[in-house]
Formats: sequence, C-alpha cells, structure tokens
Amino acid sequence: MKESDVLVLHPPRLTTAERFYLPAILGGLARTLKHLVDVLLRRRHRVIQYPEQRREELPVEQGGMLLRTYHGLHRLNRDEAGRVKCVACFMCSTACPAHCIHIVADAAPWPDREKYPVVFEIDELRCIYCGMCEEACPVNAIELTHRYEAVGYSRQEMIWGKEKLLEMYDLTITEEPM
Amino acid sequence: MKCGTSTRPVFCLPLCGVETGLAAAGAFAYHAPLAMLAMLYWLRQIPPFVWLAAGVLAVVLGTVAYLILLERKVASWIQDRIGPNRVGPRGLLQPLADGLKMLVKEDYRPPFTDRYLFTLAPALMMAVMIVALAVIPWGGVYESPAMRWRVQIADLDIGAVFVLAVLSLAVYGVVVAGWASDNKYSFLGALRATAQMVSYEVPLGLSLLTVLLMYGTLDLGVIVERQAHMWAGVIPAWNIFCQPAAFVLFLVCMHAEANRAPFDLPEAEQELVGGYHTEYTSMRLGLLLLAEYAGMIVTSAVCAAVFLGGWHMPGLGGPDAARPAVTHSAWVVAARCAVYYAKVLVLIFVFMWVRWSLPRFRFDQLLSLAWRGLVPLSLALLAGTAWVVYVFGAEHRAHMRIGGRMALALLGMNIAVAAGALAVGRMLPARVPNRRLAVPGSRFAAAGMATEAGR
Repeated sequence: MKESDVLVLHPPRLTTAERFYLPAILGGLARTLKHLVDVLLRRRHRVIQYPEQRREELPVEQGGMLLRTYHGLHRLNRDEAGRVKCVACFMCSTACPAHCIHIVADAAPWPDREKYPVVFEIDELRCIYCGMCEEACPVNAIELTHRYEAVGYSRQEMIWGKEKLLEMYDLTITEEPM
Repeated sequence: MKCGTSTRPVFCLPLCGVETGLAAAGAFAYHAPLAMLAMLYWLRQIPPFVWLAAGVLAVVLGTVAYLILLERKVASWIQDRIGPNRVGPRGLLQPLADGLKMLVKEDYRPPFTDRYLFTLAPALMMAVMIVALAVIPWGGVYESPAMRWRVQIADLDIGAVFVLAVLSLAVYGVVVAGWASDNKYSFLGALRATAQMVSYEVPLGLSLLTVLLMYGTLDLGVIVERQAHMWAGVIPAWNIFCQPAAFVLFLVCMHAEANRAPFDLPEAEQELVGGYHTEYTSMRLGLLLLAEYAGMIVTSAVCAAVFLGGWHMPGLGGPDAARPAVTHSAWVVAARCAVYYAKVLVLIFVFMWVRWSLPRFRFDQLLSLAWRGLVPLSLALLAGTAWVVYVFGAEHRAHMRIGGRMALALLGMNIAVAAGALAVGRMLPARVPNRRLAVPGSRFAAAGMATEAGR
C-alpha cells in the first residue's frame, strides 16, 4: 500500500467551549431533565402496560400495532370434512428459509388426494415468521395467525406438532376466516 | 359416631412441663421489673454514638436498597418510561423483591477462582464504605446539663484525611474482586479501576485541600460549623458559593471515585461483560452493588459537608452566634440530620441524573482529563486560595470564618482561574489522535513510516 492510498482523517479541532466539556454536559443534563420532568409532571411517557393494555388496542400513531398485517403463530387449516387440508407436498418446508418445518408424508387414507402428513412439525422458536410457507402452499393449508403469545417450559415444547397446529385452527378460525 | 361424649384428644403439655412452665412464668413475673430496670440501666450505659451508629447503619442500608429502585426510576423517567410499578404500591416494595432474589439465588463460585480473596472482596468493599461513615458530622454539637456530644459516630479531628484514606481503600475491593475472579474481563476492569482511582484521587484531594486551607482544620464538623452563617444576611456561607470551581472539580472526582458513569469503566457492561463483578452471583454480587451505592452516599455526604454546608440551613443554628453548631434541643439535632440527609440525597440524584445523560469516557480521555485537566486546575485553585487566605490573613484569623469580602475574593479567584484555564487551554497544542504506527507486516508498514503524525 502506497502513502497516496492512505486517507488520513483528522477530527475537527474543538472549540474552547467544547474542550471544557461542561457546556455540552450541561446541555445534555438539561435535555434529560426535561424528559424527566415531562414524565413526572405531565405524564408524557410511552409505556403500554402490556398484559392489561395491548398494542393492538391502540391506534398506530400512539405506538399501536395493526393486527391485520401481523405475522404470528402458524395454524394448519382443515377442509370441509374437518380433515387436515395439507397434502404433504413439501412446498412450505422447501420455501422455509429457517428450515423449521419438518414433514413426514404417507399415502392418504382418503380417495381425494394422494398424500397426507403423518407428522407436521414447526419449530416456533426457529421460525422467523416471514410467511413464505403461507405463500408457497398450493392448497392454503398453512397460514400465519395474528396470535403472538406462546409459552413453554422447554425448547422441545415449542416444536408444535400437527395436533397443536390444528388446534390453533380451531382457536382462531372464527376471528380469522381462511 | 356419637356426639354426646367427646372423644377429642386433649392437647396439653405433660404435667411436669406445666409445672416447670408455671414456675418459670412466676419467676419471670417476679424478676421482670428488676430485669427491666437492669436493662434500662444498661441501655443508659451505652454511649450515644453507639445509638447513632446503629441508626446511621440502619438508615444508610435502607436507603441503599431504595437507591437501587430510585436509580431504575430515574433511568426510566429520563427515557420516557415509568419504571418498576408492579411490586407493591407504585413499585415501592421492589427493593424487597430484589433483596429476596439476591438472597435465594445460588451462591456460585466458579472453579479456579481464589477462594479466600473471592469471598473477601465484597466484604472489603462494603466494610470500607461503612467505616467511612464514621466521621460524617450529622448534626453539630448537642449540649444538655448531663452531657456534651458532637453528633458524630467517631469524634475524629482528622476526619478529612480519614475519609480520603478509607475511600482509597475501596479500590482494593475492586482489584481483589477482579484478580480473584480469574477472568480476563474482570481483571481488565480491576486494572482500569486502579489507574482511574489513583488518578482521580489527586484532584479530589487537591480540591478538598483548598477548603481545608480556608479553615485551617481537618475536622469535618468544624468545617461545617464555619459555614453555618449567612453572607449579607441572605446567602448561606456554603463553600459552593465561594468556591464553585472547586465544587465542580470535587463533583467530577466523586463520580470517578464512586465508579459511576461517565467514569464507570471498571464495570463497563458493553466492553467488559460486567467488569470486576462478572463472576459474582447471589448476595456477594448484591454486596458489591450495595457497596457502590453506599460509596455514593459516603462521597455525597463528604461533599455535602465540605461544600454544601452540611446540616446548616437558615434557622438551624444554635443560640450562640459565635458557636452555631452548639444546640440544646434534640429536635434541632434531628432536623439537622434530616437536612443533611436531604442534601446527600440531592447529590445522589445528581449522580443518577449524570449517569443516564452522559456517555462513558474512553480510557485515554479519562486519564488525560484527570492529568491534563483536573490536576492543573485544582493546583491553580489551591495556589489562588492560598493567596487569598494570605491576603485576608489577619481578618480571617480573627473571625475563624469566611467573611463576605473574602468570599467575594475567593469567587473572583475561582472565575479568574476558570477564565485563565480557558485561555491557556486555547494555546495548548492539540493532541494528535489517529497516530499510525509502522508495525512490520501490516498493510501500512510501507506508508506509515513516512508520516508519524502528518497533517
């Protein structure tokens, strides 16, 4: 590397006030004091008391959230006969960028389709909730709901199987039609 | 099942137990008044400073627990939040929850740590901070026909030196904790703490010395008493008004001594995980954190005594104007303690306010601030104060307190020093940042040799 290739940058020379730190420090302290007084006296804070108050209940301008466009936990849809709609084509697990969908397919016991999933597992902790499985699905079997609260005592518990995903369908189908 | 005859088991002591119990109760009833008298007698024998020590310890440790809550509250207010509000009314029981959490957590000591030093460090930190409280002059002098007592745990006439000595011991706690942890981040934190505390001890001592020079005493109680009057009838004769520059220097050094932001390099979370207390868990970590807050209380108390007039508030002086510290009323003593504590709490709020406003200094900035900025400034202030004291020598010695004219002279001297520092700082050569070193084999090896520091 030649000398001409090196770009030497020098910070600008500080003014006298800046060298003494104090004016800038006092300015910063005044700013934070203003915020403190605002919260204490004028109740201007940005807190949402979460379990009692929810973001979806607030308008977006006040820090709320549009649930309509929210990518939440998955569900597996049922068809009219109540069977799992999935035909085990592996499109979703192929599209999944996080590799969190695990499917084991078998011959379907029903005449109207060739295959059905014996095992359909989604690792809800590994999933990045991008919604590409939903886009890839040719039969609209997998969908993202608007639910975002999932708890478990272990990582294993957060790998949701077919029953759990179908249960999510039963839970959400009234408020979120297919 | 029959209802008439009771088959319920009767719970009672064995007969001999009842007899013994009755005998004991009788003996107690007979001897109790005597015992109470004896106890009262013994309580009277306990000197007042023991009561004060117990009270101060209780109040300080209680405050320390609540300071952690206050810190979180101040942080959230500054950040447009409202802070912990779930435990108890308005979150006021949060310290209990925190303390309980600290106590019931597993007390884990990692392998390869030094067993004895690892245990010693938190105790050392806490002990040092508590010992330093001994010389704080809480309430002047209490005089009654029965006794004459300076409201102070240890009536020490070298209080200022004692505080400096004990506070500089605090660095041992940090260093020992960092060393015993056998962890390079902890050790780095400890190393930083050493350099920082040694550096800031110098301007701290020098700015304290300016005040000691004015009063010619090392006794914190006397320093407070000499401030307990008014200039021109309205301005309290506190040193902050006649030595503002020294106060600012002292305040800055206090932050460094207490390891608080913007000088919290020893525990810089973002760089050193947790600094010297990375490896600590449970109540040992609790002690280290509590010691930090206790240190804030101690340094704030010293600052309040030296610069904010300690317990003095207009109206709290004693009947004798020449000796304002002497009072005959226990209520005045209590009020003075409250005033003193209020001043300490104000200073602690400043600590927190600063912490949540300013970014952390870089290590070289930290040291150059101390050695290029604070030390020369405090030396100049010391020289200026010495000059003023010399000029006002006769008048000063006659009254043993700072008169209005001398205060004006000191204030003018402070302003002159600050202005002089501004002017001199302008003329000093700029530091060269961004220096390229020619390390063999680096891609700058060829180019860097030519320009050591080119502009």
